[in-house]
Amino acid sequence: MALILTCPVCGKRNGYEFRYGGEDKGPRPAEAGLTPAAWCDYVHMNKCTAGVLKEWWFHRDGCGSWFTTWRDTTKNLEVAQPEASK
Amino acid sequence: MFWKSKPLWGSKTRLKSNYDAVIIGGGLHGLATAYYLAKEHGITDVAIIEKRFIGFGGAGRNTAIVRANQRTQYNVPLYKEALDLWPVLTKELDYNLMFNNCGNLNLMHSEAAMKSARMTIATAQFHGVESHLIDAKQAKELVPALNISEDITFPIHGAMFHPPGGIVRHDAVVWGLAKGAAKHGVHIHQHTEATAIHTEGGKITGVTTSRGRIHTPRVLISAGGYSAGLIYQMLGIKLPIAVLTIQAMVTQPLKPLLDHVVSSGAYHCYANQTLKGEIATGAHMDQWPNYTTQNTAHYIKHQAEALSDWLPCLRGVKFMRIWGGLADMTPDMAPIMDGNDHIEGFYMDCGWGYFGFKSCSAVGKYMAQFMASGNCPDMLKPFNLRRYENHQLMGETAELVSYTPNN
Repeated sequence: MALILTCPVCGKRNGYEFRYGGEDKGPRPAEAGLTPAAWCDYVHMNKCTAGVLKEWWFHRDGCGSWFTTWRDTTKNLEVAQPEASK
Repeated sequence: MFWKSKPLWGSKTRLKSNYDAVIIGGGLHGLATAYYLAKEHGITDVAIIEKRFIGFGGAGRNTAIVRANQRTQYNVPLYKEALDLWPVLTKELDYNLMFNNCGNLNLMHSEAAMKSARMTIATAQFHGVESHLIDAKQAKELVPALNISEDITFPIHGAMFHPPGGIVRHDAVVWGLAKGAAKHGVHIHQHTEATAIHTEGGKITGVTTSRGRIHTPRVLISAGGYSAGLIYQMLGIKLPIAVLTIQAMVTQPLKPLLDHVVSSGAYHCYANQTLKGEIATGAHMDQWPNYTTQNTAHYIKHQAEALSDWLPCLRGVKFMRIWGGLADMTPDMAPIMDGNDHIEGFYMDCGWGYFGFKSCSAVGKYMAQFMASGNCPDMLKPFNLRRYENHQLMGETAELVSYTPNN
């Protein structure tokens, strides 16, 4: 289960240098007209995909970058962005 | 071929096209719910749909610890009932569940932890659950192998001693409940994958499986760590869950040295000695969600370091078997049991994290009541899904947990 992630600044690094930042949920919802349900959806709710998904990562023990990347949760490997999502 | 032989729990059944209730997930929560539906509520026309085999998931991967020393007033009564049910189920199912009532010792490594333990103990005592605060010397008297010196990474300040807890043989619970459920008419379909749930006008109408379509008015998803992914995939309902692999291991068998379940929050490590003499011990959860159930050198090393610190007599002892399972963690460390809400006839029982085993007996009883009547029993009401959007997260953890993305 050796996860290797590609940091946009430092390149490929050991997964334990990074902190997982959650599933990518798109931009933060606008404050105006925000409902508790929409806020809860943004803050707490996950798709828990068993497969490929886009995630946020933080290079905690490195350059400090926040970035998104794609990972297969069934294999625990970083993968290229799927064609379908482009 | 062994899979063509008669199953252990009864006779082989055909998948019918109609059932009164379908349960997705042949783990302990599914089996217990089916058992109580059939036994207590007369709903015997129940199918359990299991993709692999019963006990494949968390039911066979947990470290078999049972206890009722949780933190909040909502959790404690539920776990107390689960604990009280083991001897009852042993008789009722006529199956030896091997409840070893050895008691749990939770080590505290700071004055802040001792204060937090005082509150947890007060909650337990208020609910009639035996739990005491003891100092390091008393802990040493209970477990002479314990290292209470001050020159270890996390010196032991004291412990929370909870005598009613212990160990239950998890495979026996799987087989006992399967046998009990089948005896009351429940159909257990292994190697059958649920691929879709059908609704019509906001009501459940059926389930498509790899072996054909089933018509049913009630569906429960109780698929342990796989629940959240399935619920989103089949019904588009997102849940506040992160699915993490949690690892466990056993050492080679040793002479008796540990007659309590001992756990330590600071070391992220718990250990008990099985009846075979192995030290069964559990570790951290992985730091990022994954469905691999694989072990990592990182945590095997962590486990060896932690154990040899607070149980120094284990230095040099070898790990014999290692394995992993899934923990579906919620931000407030409390489960989600809800249903019959936005979709009539749909129920979910998930988010148990690493507490699914110790709760299964009582949860089966209440989920069956929920599914039979359509009304949520009072015991389960606090565990609804809407608590997250209402900002009423349960205080099961004193602070946000550090092993999910929620910290």
